[in-house]
Amino acid sequence: MADSPAPTMFAIVTTNKEAVVGGMAPVFVACNDVERDRIAMWLSRITNAIVHDLHNGTVILTVNRS
Amino acid sequence: MSSASAAVNWNPMIVGFIAGFISRVLYLRSGQSHNPGYPSGYIIQIAIGVIAAMIGSSVIVSLIGKEFTAATFLTLAATQFFNVRTNERHTLEQEESLILVGRGAGYIEGIALTYEARNFLGMLVALATSVVTAWNLWLGMAAGLAFVILGEVFMAGPKIGELIDVEEAEVKFDKGSLLFVGPVMMMEVGLPDSRQRFLEDGLGVILKPRDTRGESALWNIAQRQAIAHQAAVAVGVQKDVGYPEQTPLCRMEMPKGTGLAGLAIIPVERNLEALIKAIRNTPVLESGKWSKMHNTKNKKEAARG
Repeated sequence: MADSPAPTMFAIVTTNKEAVVGGMAPVFVACNDVERDRIAMWLSRITNAIVHDLHNGTVILTVNRS
Repeated sequence: MSSASAAVNWNPMIVGFIAGFISRVLYLRSGQSHNPGYPSGYIIQIAIGVIAAMIGSSVIVSLIGKEFTAATFLTLAATQFFNVRTNERHTLEQEESLILVGRGAGYIEGIALTYEARNFLGMLVALATSVVTAWNLWLGMAAGLAFVILGEVFMAGPKIGELIDVEEAEVKFDKGSLLFVGPVMMMEVGLPDSRQRFLEDGLGVILKPRDTRGESALWNIAQRQAIAHQAAVAVGVQKDVGYPEQTPLCRMEMPKGTGLAGLAIIPVERNLEALIKAIRNTPVLESGKWSKMHNTKNKKEAARG
């Protein structure tokens, strides 16, 4: 519920492979920013996840678990 | 039956029943947001209201007729009304996952509580009216009217518009992806597509607390969820499954903590007046009602000038 969201990281989309190490979420590597945003949007629409930009070439997708 | 030979005075029961029933039905009409809004919902509430008014009004007649067993059974029947709250809460919780912008647990509890309280109020009005009517018919009618009006006045909870001011504010993005409504940072929007939606169609309002009560109401997370829900009900929201970032948000100005709140929404109907009116008409939730806090930052600023 929207009252107290507990976000879990669902996926990582990046153009900068070196910025992401390990972790529990799958990492999608894109060749440029446009492709990164496209992949992020598709994943978001499919999985109902929220996209957050970390401004280092990486965006993360989080899902709010109730 | 001891009272069978003596003529039973039905007046207390009739007048009490009418007063109690009116007290219940009046609120069904006035509490727009508290209503399911479909005929079956009304039928259930009216039926329960009839039973409540009957229980309240028949106690004094049974006591006068020395039917103490009947009076005891009536108090037993009254306990059945505790289920009203549970039923109403269940219905609204089921709805929660089916509506785009949830009411939030605090609002649901408030609505369920009101439903229960209204039935007991109907019962009390019926009882009090029938007691007075047993004494004098005309006085009883006047008292019934007075009790109904008194109940209406006391049960009309405060609206958030009495505690805060609502003003339009600009929706903008800062540092690339941070959504701002006026000075209030709402959230981080990662998708360029969603940012464009907010810039093109988004509406933003600032909620300014008038006093400490308004501020403590705004700090309550359930209260803000209720405001977001009412806002979405009034102007609609361009959102569907798969578009979670287009959910209307109501957030405090952080990290400054000035007590100011912002609300961003992508409405279907671009109507600022309707939005502001809906926010002002949101009921103040019980959980955030009486806790008074004093924002030391605001005090310092006020002292400075």
